[in-house]
Amino acid sequence: MSEAAATIPDTPLFDRAGSIRGYRINKMAMALGQPANRAAFKADEEAYLDSFGLSAHEKSAVMARDWHEMVRLGGNLFFILKISAVDPTPITRIGAAQASMEHEDFLHLRLGKKRNG
Amino acid sequence: MAKIIGGLGTSHVPSIGAALDKGLRDTPDWKPFFDGYEVGKQWMRDAKPDIAVVVFNDHGNTFFLDRVPTFAVGVAETYNPVDEGWGPRAIPAFEGAVDFSWHFVDKLVERHFDPMVCREIEVDHGLQVPMELFFGRPEAWPVKVLPIWVNTIQYPIPTPQRCWEMGKVLREAIESWPGDERVVILGTGGLSHQLQGARAGFINQAADRAWLDGIASNPEPYRAMTREDYVEQFGSEGAELIMWLVMRAAMNSDVNLIHKHYHAPASMTGAGMVVLENAA
Ligand SMILES: [Fe+2]
Repeated sequence: MSEAAATIPDTPLFDRAGSIRGYRINKMAMALGQPANRAAFKADEEAYLDSFGLSAHEKSAVMARDWHEMVRLGGNLFFILKISAVDPTPITRIGAAQASMEHEDFLHLRLGKKRNG
Repeated sequence: MAKIIGGLGTSHVPSIGAALDKGLRDTPDWKPFFDGYEVGKQWMRDAKPDIAVVVFNDHGNTFFLDRVPTFAVGVAETYNPVDEGWGPRAIPAFEGAVDFSWHFVDKLVERHFDPMVCREIEVDHGLQVPMELFFGRPEAWPVKVLPIWVNTIQYPIPTPQRCWEMGKVLREAIESWPGDERVVILGTGGLSHQLQGARAGFINQAADRAWLDGIASNPEPYRAMTREDYVEQFGSEGAELIMWLVMRAAMNSDVNLIHKHYHAPASMTGAGMVVLENAA
């Protein structure tokens, strides 16, 4: 399945490899479902990330809010959305970042929304 | 025996709940979406079900990757809404249809399914949002629920055919239940959307509209499709549509399409609804 599905362009599936690769980053993000962890994340983001054993590369992707890179590192959107909830960052901005498009262009060209103004 | 009074299909996009929380129902972005559900709400008021079976997936809120059940069934007395990161939502807890849920578990295992059985567990927007769409925001939900979780997050996800087979067992469980409850089945998720990868934002309105008619009149092709076909046509997260097959398989092969509604985009999703009744 995962090999066949890999043939759909620009569509990563969260399979065995992704699940293993992204385990730490997703575990860190999952924990943001708890208010105490959200407070810790806000108070000292790097210390919070360290407490989940993230690599330097993973940490910089999270701290830069590089959504594309977080996904490449195995982050699954459903978990890392909890980072966006803390910020908060709209999901359409995360979509636009992954599509490498300006937000307005993304809304119009991908989602079919009318352009503002 | 209990009675199946309807099969509903609906999207469960989290932004729908957030829009209701923020009072955005009548804004230009959301009004056409919510207006289309009014007929579904009215249908539900008239139908007066006792039990809602809700087929949905968790979105990294209740289950982490440390344990990923392909299918899980709730047998809890109460299901609280889970905090998905935005804080707790002001909606009532869901009361479980405990005895009926255990009966379903018995039937599943008899029929060679091996579900995870959950006594204490919270529910995310996958269950919350469909309930809000069809029941509004009551003080207390007017039905008891039987939650069925399907893994659609980590591959391998179950095949469409397997979801269909589960629907057959669900029907058998309802028809063999000695009570006289009126049961409504909600298949949830989809329609087309993709949140991850460079194809993020993919919406396929033509496929979505075909789905809403086809799931009623001719579901066979959808049952035969591969998981890869679902991802290709409906996007990586649009593969959630396999969960509608559990609902559809529990219905008669002939159904009447009572209501349908489609709106795109709701957040990043092609959103839709059907209300099906068994044909006489
Ligand atoms: Fe979903």
